[in-house]
Amino acid sequence: MTRAERRWDGLLFVAPFLLLYLLILIYPLLRGVWLSLHSVDLFGDGRFVGLANYARLAADPVFGQSLVNTFLITLMIVPVLTVIALALALALNRATRSAAILRGVFFSSAVLSVTIVTLIWRFVLAPDAGLLGELWTAFGWEPLPFLSAPNLVLPALAITTIWWSLGFPMLLFLAGLQQIPQDMYEAAALDRASKWTTFRRVTLPSLRRTTILVIMLQTAAQLQIFGQSQLLTAGGPSGASRTAVLFLFETAFGRWELGYASAAAEILFLIILAVTLTQYWLTGRAREGEDGR
Amino acid sequence: MMRLLLAVLAALALGSCAQADDKTHIYLQRFFGECGAEYGGRTDVSKAEGECGIVTTLVNKFNAENPDVQVDVNVIAWPGYPQLTAQMAARDPPDLVTMHSGVMSDYAAKGLLEPVEPYLQRAGINAADFTPASRDAVAIKGRAYGLPWDTHGGLYHVNTGLFREAGLMRGGEPILPTSPEEFFAHARQFRERTGKPYLIQSLVGDPAGAARSLYTYMMAQGAPIFPEPDRLRVNTPEGRRVADFFRRLTAEGLGTSNMDTPAAIAAFMNGEGGIYPTGTWMIGQFQEESETPGRPLYRSYAVYPFPHLWGEHVASVGGHAWVVPARERTDKQRQAIARFFRFMAAHNYDWARTGHLPAFAAVVASPRFRALPQRDNIAPLGTIGRSLPGTVQRQSAVEGIVGEEMSAAITGQKSSTRALADADRRVNEFLAELQ
Amino acid sequence: MAASVARDRLPPLVWAAVLIGAAIMVAPLIWTLLLSLKSNTELVGNSGAALQPPYTLGNYVAIFGSSSTTRWLLNSAVVSLGTTAGVLILASLAGYGFARLDFPFRRSLFVLVLLGLAIPSQAVILHQHQLFADLGLHNSYPGLILPGLIGPFGVFFMTQYMRAIPKELDEAAMLDGASRFTIFWRVILPLTVPAQSTLAVFTFLGSWNDYWWPLISATRSDMYTLTVGLAASQMNYAQTSGLGFLMAQAVFASIPIFMVYIIFQKQIVRAMAGAALK
Repeated sequence: MTRAERRWDGLLFVAPFLLLYLLILIYPLLRGVWLSLHSVDLFGDGRFVGLANYARLAADPVFGQSLVNTFLITLMIVPVLTVIALALALALNRATRSAAILRGVFFSSAVLSVTIVTLIWRFVLAPDAGLLGELWTAFGWEPLPFLSAPNLVLPALAITTIWWSLGFPMLLFLAGLQQIPQDMYEAAALDRASKWTTFRRVTLPSLRRTTILVIMLQTAAQLQIFGQSQLLTAGGPSGASRTAVLFLFETAFGRWELGYASAAAEILFLIILAVTLTQYWLTGRAREGEDGR
Repeated sequence: MMRLLLAVLAALALGSCAQADDKTHIYLQRFFGECGAEYGGRTDVSKAEGECGIVTTLVNKFNAENPDVQVDVNVIAWPGYPQLTAQMAARDPPDLVTMHSGVMSDYAAKGLLEPVEPYLQRAGINAADFTPASRDAVAIKGRAYGLPWDTHGGLYHVNTGLFREAGLMRGGEPILPTSPEEFFAHARQFRERTGKPYLIQSLVGDPAGAARSLYTYMMAQGAPIFPEPDRLRVNTPEGRRVADFFRRLTAEGLGTSNMDTPAAIAAFMNGEGGIYPTGTWMIGQFQEESETPGRPLYRSYAVYPFPHLWGEHVASVGGHAWVVPARERTDKQRQAIARFFRFMAAHNYDWARTGHLPAFAAVVASPRFRALPQRDNIAPLGTIGRSLPGTVQRQSAVEGIVGEEMSAAITGQKSSTRALADADRRVNEFLAELQ
Repeated sequence: MAASVARDRLPPLVWAAVLIGAAIMVAPLIWTLLLSLKSNTELVGNSGAALQPPYTLGNYVAIFGSSSTTRWLLNSAVVSLGTTAGVLILASLAGYGFARLDFPFRRSLFVLVLLGLAIPSQAVILHQHQLFADLGLHNSYPGLILPGLIGPFGVFFMTQYMRAIPKELDEAAMLDGASRFTIFWRVILPLTVPAQSTLAVFTFLGSWNDYWWPLISATRSDMYTLTVGLAASQMNYAQTSGLGFLMAQAVFASIPIFMVYIIFQKQIVRAMAGAALK
């Protein structure tokens, strides 16, 4: 086997994925970039307008608000979700039957589609008929209008999302935990390290890759949050829960403004890309630092 | 490699599409749900109940009566426009589609719908037979773009039991206000005597409801909502008057502000408020409640058009229509579509049992329609109903924005002026981009 | 090397916290189940009726009353299984390539794949629709499956996972004269069973619950997936007048995914007990 062959046969392994990827994702993306320079609806030929769509976006307070909402809800979701998922994985990484059942319980919400999740949480959150409303009333408090008060609606959507998305990060952490070699724990035990020390010196460093993966994935996913806001509140009240993807959905499907929606999509794409790449770059540095040690 | 891949994929995609009988096939796409379980092979329309049951048995009956034609039905998730738009973009639209009158202009403006006069003519249907509201709803630039099937719009659903308690009944009928001042007086009296809100409003995730009130009462004051087809103008003295009215009502606690549609429906059915403004489509459900002993609405239900508060007594309405997307068709298919139109027109009464107002004036006037519960009260909708001008495009997106801003005004999240100005700005900005 | 599983007992306080959390997780699900067992008319205007009998299986019977449901179920199964199989194959191959081989543009290509994580699907869905229309792929299984195969997550995940496997394994096999593919197939792949299980569950779940793509791609009812079919069969205002039926649909549609989870959960547990990673 010559060196050159070895170099190219690696490409063969990634080629099947890459070809589909280029055709079905990158090509449509580039088409979107091209259309974002046009004023065009779903059926017209459109006309070239240069960066006019982007200029219009910069001045569009509704788009601005949707970006702010998207950032806020991502910040509300990702840290909480990561910590809870990690804690659960630590508690449930056991070979007992009860741990297996509980893993199933915490995963169970993830099997539901967003349509059903929002339907269920409507019953929890609605002030007049909801579960939380009943609870509040039982304590003698005025039920909180979670879905109609501008400052409560994002936290309400965040709680809904956390409840729904807990299962998968928990699975990732469990998979990460099980990769830690038992010998490392045995060595720690020989050193008579306390549980806390073992956790900080063995478990946490070994989970670094998984933690980063979870945070990156969740960040990228939550910046694209859509269904919860569309189905629970339709972006209301007065746009207080309109997320960026809901904005571009309304623009494309409701108003047929393909060019403008594409421009919004490119902006959102660049933002998510910047965040994801920053995270990846930071972790890359962290990894190199680790390897060099 | 890529081309080979595509060729393989294309080969995989080829399904069997050919139909092996000699019938003329018409492809019909509709919403209203799927109920084949209950109505699968049934053709007895008069025994069917609800939108789904009635439309299913109607199509079954048409197929049975026209052995040379086969209407293939595709039930689509409500409201079905993303799919229809996708089908049109892929140049494979159905032959007949249920459509809300408010969205017809979007497709008609792009030449994606056929004007239906030739079909109406073949079917022997005269446009003069429609109610004014229905004729108005399908007309775009002097052409008819669909067979109107009903008029639906906002109504005041009233809990007459609570109205009696509040001393607002006369001769077995609720007294509805005839002026803004009287509205407030009634609402306060209602709250004092019953301890409940006069008006149940669904303002969460339901822009259509808020937009309907604004449109109706702006039209009543003779204010043109669209001075030009691509220019909305709701931030006017007339618009602010309407917004301020509902805003004061809500601030005083005379109307609810934290409910979404299901919560509002439940509240009305449980007797937690006097009036619930919502559409024709709830009549069947509420009527059933009023006929069931033990229910809070038992013998306590009546329904009327929006009350006359300012200017002229009108109501903002829409309607369902059957439209024909543009595509190549054989003459046999065109003939079959015309026959389908004639059949549906002849069965307009059956559809009216859903609660929607019939599209044909003769059916509205017929004794058997008048004999249905509540229909006498709502029949005026056929003459006082008004649509937005047919030249206005993106009516559904406009309604979403106007409703969102109007809700913000009603609940006090924005001042009326600011909310309505925002609505104008947001709508006009994107309408200006239309080609 | 043995996988680690905690063997100590959980402190009672932690146990209590976990149990409370579990209660919060299942309460809405039990509520859903109870609603699905009530007749629609009883629930109209009063969802609290779900807490009292009588209960009925009527809503579930109604789901199967429509002959299309089995067809949609079959479509969903074909699409979800096809997508899952496709993702596992493509992502394992690509992950192996990116993690353990060197080839030209490896880093740039990997970054290109990462880029995909940042593309909101709503941003490309219309352009994808156009592409598939040009290829004549709408209303077909390939049309429903292919867009599910390009998620970058699988590649990213498998790459990360395969990087963690010691390099010595390949080198030893290489010395024995094994080909690249043999090493991948015989040595590396068996070590990735836990990751494959996780990825399978995740992919199946995403595919099963996907709504927007099948909604606009499968417009003929015999090609509907279960999510689209069930949405199409709902009447307007189902939240009010058909709540029990709606919830029965939700429960019904979730059962297959939960079964998939339970099947793969065994794999994950076995891996934990230390059998798979050796």
